[in-house]
Amino acid sequence: MVVLGVEDMYLTKEEERILGGEEGWAKAKALEVIVKVGESLGAERLVNIEHAHISGVSYRNIGRHGEELIKSFADSGVRFSVKTTVNPIGFDLEDPSSIPYATIDEGYVRHQYNILTSLKAMGADLTLSCTPYYLPQVTSIKEGTSVAWGESNAVLYANTVLGLKTNREGGPMSLMAAITGKTYYYGLHLEENRVPRVEYVLDNKSNMDEADYGVLGEIIASIHEGINPPYLDIDLDEISLREFLAALGAAGNIAMVYINGITRGRVKKGELKKEMVYRKEIESRREELGIKERPDLIYFGCPHAGVDDLRVIASQLKATKRKFDGKIVVTTSRDTIARLGKETIGILRSHGVRLIGDTCLVVSPFGYKGLRVATNSYKSLYYLSKRGIKVSLLSIRELKDVIEKW
Amino acid sequence: MVAFKGRALVKGFAEGEAVVVNEISFYGDVDPETGMLFDGRSLRDKILVSYKPRGSTVGSYIIYALKMNNVSPKAIIMSSSEPIIVAGCVLSGIPLVDGISIKDLKTIKDGDLIIVKEGLVLVNE
Repeated sequence: MVVLGVEDMYLTKEEERILGGEEGWAKAKALEVIVKVGESLGAERLVNIEHAHISGVSYRNIGRHGEELIKSFADSGVRFSVKTTVNPIGFDLEDPSSIPYATIDEGYVRHQYNILTSLKAMGADLTLSCTPYYLPQVTSIKEGTSVAWGESNAVLYANTVLGLKTNREGGPMSLMAAITGKTYYYGLHLEENRVPRVEYVLDNKSNMDEADYGVLGEIIASIHEGINPPYLDIDLDEISLREFLAALGAAGNIAMVYINGITRGRVKKGELKKEMVYRKEIESRREELGIKERPDLIYFGCPHAGVDDLRVIASQLKATKRKFDGKIVVTTSRDTIARLGKETIGILRSHGVRLIGDTCLVVSPFGYKGLRVATNSYKSLYYLSKRGIKVSLLSIRELKDVIEKW
Repeated sequence: MVAFKGRALVKGFAEGEAVVVNEISFYGDVDPETGMLFDGRSLRDKILVSYKPRGSTVGSYIIYALKMNNVSPKAIIMSSSEPIIVAGCVLSGIPLVDGISIKDLKTIKDGDLIIVKEGLVLVNE
C-alpha cells in the first residue's frame, strides 16, 4: 500500500516561518489547519488569497465552543491578513425580536455579540450578509483572483458570475484563511477544474420563474458528478440566477456552474457530453411542493433579497387590495435596505411586510414543527424542512394570487 | 497482534479501546457535552474507528467542543478523512490517522485495544 508522506506539500520560506510560530501561535495554528487539510486532499502547495468571506458565525450553528474558539484567536491579538466579510447571524442587530416564531433570549444575544466582537477585533467588516457578491468591496476584486469563501450560495456566485476562484470552505476554514491570507491550492483554484464537460439541455425553458430554477438546481445537483462545472445555456434574470445557484449549493456539493453568456472562461462546446433535463420533471416537482393549505408565513430573501426582488414584491402587493392574513417576511442586507427607495419601503410597510436585516430564517432559531411556510427559495425549503417546518414553493410573481386565494 | 500502516495527518500517541462507527457526522451524531453517540455508546477516551466520515459544516466545532469538555476520543482512525474532520482534529490536537482500507478497518471490533503511534495502528498487542 502506498502511503503518502504528510510533508509532501511544498511550503515557501515565509510559510515555514509562520508554521514555526514566528508570527504568533494563532497564525501558526491557522496555517497548520490549512496545510493539513490541503495535504489530506493531496494539494501540492498553498495559494495566496485576496478576500475571505466567513460563514459559521451564527451562535445557533456554532454554539458556545465555536464562540470560544473564535475568541481564543481574537485574544491572541492576531489580525486578518486580507479583507474579510461575514455571513448573517441569528437575529437583526437593530431589533433582535423582529423574527416571528423565534425566541431569542438575552443569553443568545450576548453570545452572538461575543462572536461579533471577536471577529471585529480581528478586522472583519461585519456585513452580516450571505450575498457579499453585491457589495462594492467585493465586486471590485479582479476576475481570476483566488479568494476563500464559506457559504455555498456565495461560492457558486463567485465562481460562476464574478469569475473569482474559491472552493467551498466549510466549518472554520474560511476563518483560518482570513487569518493567514492563504488557502490550499486545490479544486476550483486550478483552471482545468473550471472547464465544463457535461451540458444539461432543457427541452423547454420558456417562462420559468425563480422557484422553477430552484427545482432545476435540485435536479442537476442529484445527477451531476465530479468537480468540473455543469454547462447550461439558459437565459435568466438576477433573482432566478441567485435562487438557482443557492439550490445547487444546498442540494449537493457543486461549487460552480458554467452558464453561457454569464460565465467567462474556456469551454469546448463540441466536446461537451449532453444530458437532457425535461420540463415535465420540473413541473411535477413544483406541483408536489406547491401550496396545499394557507401558509402561516410567506418568506422571501434566502439568499438575501436584492433591490430588484424588493421592487417586484412591492409591485405584487400593490396590485391587490387584500392584505395577507398571515406574516410576510423578507430578509436582506443592511446595504440593500439603505439603497431602497422610499416608495418601495412605504408599500412594504403598508402591507405589513417585515423587512429584516443581518439574519435569515435558516440561521436564526426560527419556527417549530408543523409551521406552514411558503417561499420562493428552494434553499430555505431544503433547510427549514429538516426542522419539521412544512415548506411549500411559491414564486414572487404568484404572490398576488396567493394572497387573494388564501 | 495486527498492525496497519496509515498516514498520520495529526501526529501523536494514543492508547485506548476501539469504538467502531460505520459512518459518522459529528454534527448530529455526537453530543458535544457528553461525548455520547446517538446509539448510546461513549467516545470519551476511546479510539474512534470510522469507515466513512460525512462532512457537515460545523463538525469541526463539535470536535473542538468534545475536547474542551474532556469527552473527546483519544484518537481518530479513518479510511479517508475529509476537511471538516481534519480541521477539527488539528484545532483540538487529536491524533488523526487515515489511509487504512475499509477492509482492514473492518477487522477492528468494539473494545479491541488500540495503540496509535504516528501513522502506525496496533490492534490487541
